[in-house]
Amino acid sequence: MQAAHAAASTLPAVWRYLLATALVAAALFLSLVLQDAFGNPFWFFFPVVVIAATWYCGKGPGWVSVGVSTVLVLYYFIPPTRSFNIKPRDIPFFFVFAACQVVSNRLVSWRRETEDSLRRARDELGIRVAERTAELKQANEALLDRIEEQKRTQDALLVTRTELTRVARITTIGELTASIAHEVNQPLAAVVANGDACVAWLSHSTPNLSEARAAAERMIQGATRASEVIVRIRSLINKATPERTPVEMNKTIEETVALANGQALANGVSIVFDLSPDLPAVRADRIQLQQVILNLVMNGIEAMTSVTDRPRQLLIRSQREKAGEVRVSIEDTGIGVSADAMGRLFEPFYTTRPQGMGMGLPISRSIIEAHGGRLWAESALSQGSVFQFTLPNEDRPEP
Amino acid sequence: MKEPDPIVFVIDDDRMIREGLQSLIRSVGLRVETFASARDFQAAKRPDAPACLILDVRMPDVSGLDLQRQLNEANIHIPVIFITGHGDIPMSVRAMKEGAQEFLTKPVRGQDLLDAVQKAVERDRGQRKTRAEFEELRARFDSLTPREKEVLDLVVAGLLNKQIADELGMSELTVKTHRAHVMEKTSADSLAHLVRISEKLKTSLQK
Repeated sequence: MQAAHAAASTLPAVWRYLLATALVAAALFLSLVLQDAFGNPFWFFFPVVVIAATWYCGKGPGWVSVGVSTVLVLYYFIPPTRSFNIKPRDIPFFFVFAACQVVSNRLVSWRRETEDSLRRARDELGIRVAERTAELKQANEALLDRIEEQKRTQDALLVTRTELTRVARITTIGELTASIAHEVNQPLAAVVANGDACVAWLSHSTPNLSEARAAAERMIQGATRASEVIVRIRSLINKATPERTPVEMNKTIEETVALANGQALANGVSIVFDLSPDLPAVRADRIQLQQVILNLVMNGIEAMTSVTDRPRQLLIRSQREKAGEVRVSIEDTGIGVSADAMGRLFEPFYTTRPQGMGMGLPISRSIIEAHGGRLWAESALSQGSVFQFTLPNEDRPEP
Repeated sequence: MKEPDPIVFVIDDDRMIREGLQSLIRSVGLRVETFASARDFQAAKRPDAPACLILDVRMPDVSGLDLQRQLNEANIHIPVIFITGHGDIPMSVRAMKEGAQEFLTKPVRGQDLLDAVQKAVERDRGQRKTRAEFEELRARFDSLTPREKEVLDLVVAGLLNKQIADELGMSELTVKTHRAHVMEKTSADSLAHLVRISEKLKTSLQK
């Protein structure tokens, strides 16, 4: 009904007047046809037509239908029929009829206007709701933007912090190295000076053996001092004696990899776990073990930063070996290692990265070997690398 | 007068290096004196002989570079050979600017050091000779009387005896006597030689 009356009210005025006229004509036709069969039903058809015309065609056509139908009724149905004359006894009926027509027209018209204004109000409400919704949506988008930005800031912060840690570590190592270098270089310089002197004394036409002997003895002293320096450094390092406790490998892996999550996310690397549920505990220094795992994971992530033609995926697997050892492998889909580089991978200070220090893998290997395990690598260029290590289980005696 | 034997001073806080260098330098027949610090060296009495200084850059208290500067300020010109364990560029540039003879890194090859010592001693010998010559000239000049110095100035300026006599208000004969004394005291054997000696003195005094 809503659609129909929306359609009629949008018709041009001419058509609305014609439609109203047609409706009145239809009422006249039905009234005449059914006059004898139903005992003059005009009083039913004409009011219905007036209601319909007022409702569907609007106020103006409504009044036209009232006027025309009143005239037609007077002409065709008020005796004497087919004349505009009226008998005095029929005058009250005719006026009541006419009044009824007018009243229905007014009522319908009023109802119609109410409905229209209601509809307008509803439409306005709809528009306002839509506006409000749009505002909310905008606010929501702004909020999402803010969240995204915050996340980026956080990522940047993480990268900066990682970088800072690395720089601090290198600086410390650099200072330490300079100090060690001086400590060792000093006795070596003495050894060289005395060696040169010794050779010089021996090269005389009559070699001066006592001078040569004194120089040689000083060489021995110098060399001894150099080796003492090294012993001192070693004992310094050993002061941080690793504490071996039973360690659950899977838990350690999960804890450690969580530290690298930010880095993985920032580089679009997905980390996949395949951890065997029935691993024996290993006896290890938890911190050192974390250091090894973190180092291998970070290496894996860095190896994939330039990969674009395949998914960047880091697969971390733990397995129980036949001999009761625990094996952990960290597999990346990165750039891989050339055969040439593979041979030198575990040499100290060897690195393929411009900012690398070349200490991560040698240190990792020495840690694993100190725990009685093995650490090795396999790689295929432009396919990826696998770094694996094994550790003996807790029951095995320490090496 | 025979020139005294050259001497090499070694200053290094490390006893073993000191002894090694001393033995090495002695093995080629040079005199050596060693010091454990810059202060010891400054306190010691140095013999009058061609010399050079082997100096460790990194020493507690007064560093090698500090000592070099102090010596320069005190107008003591001994060629310096620096030895450093961590020779970096700014340090060697500074040392060279202050007139270091060499800058060697530890451990030093014996032959490199001996070559440097040889060159440094030669340089000092040359410097000493120039200085000695100048001192001698200076002594001769100082032995002239004020009158003789005036005559010398005018002779060198190219004036004739007659003109000098007019200038100084004395007889030509007196000028001739003064002139003969000047030639004798400065041991110049010709006018040209006298001019050269005078020039040398002037430029040296200007420095």
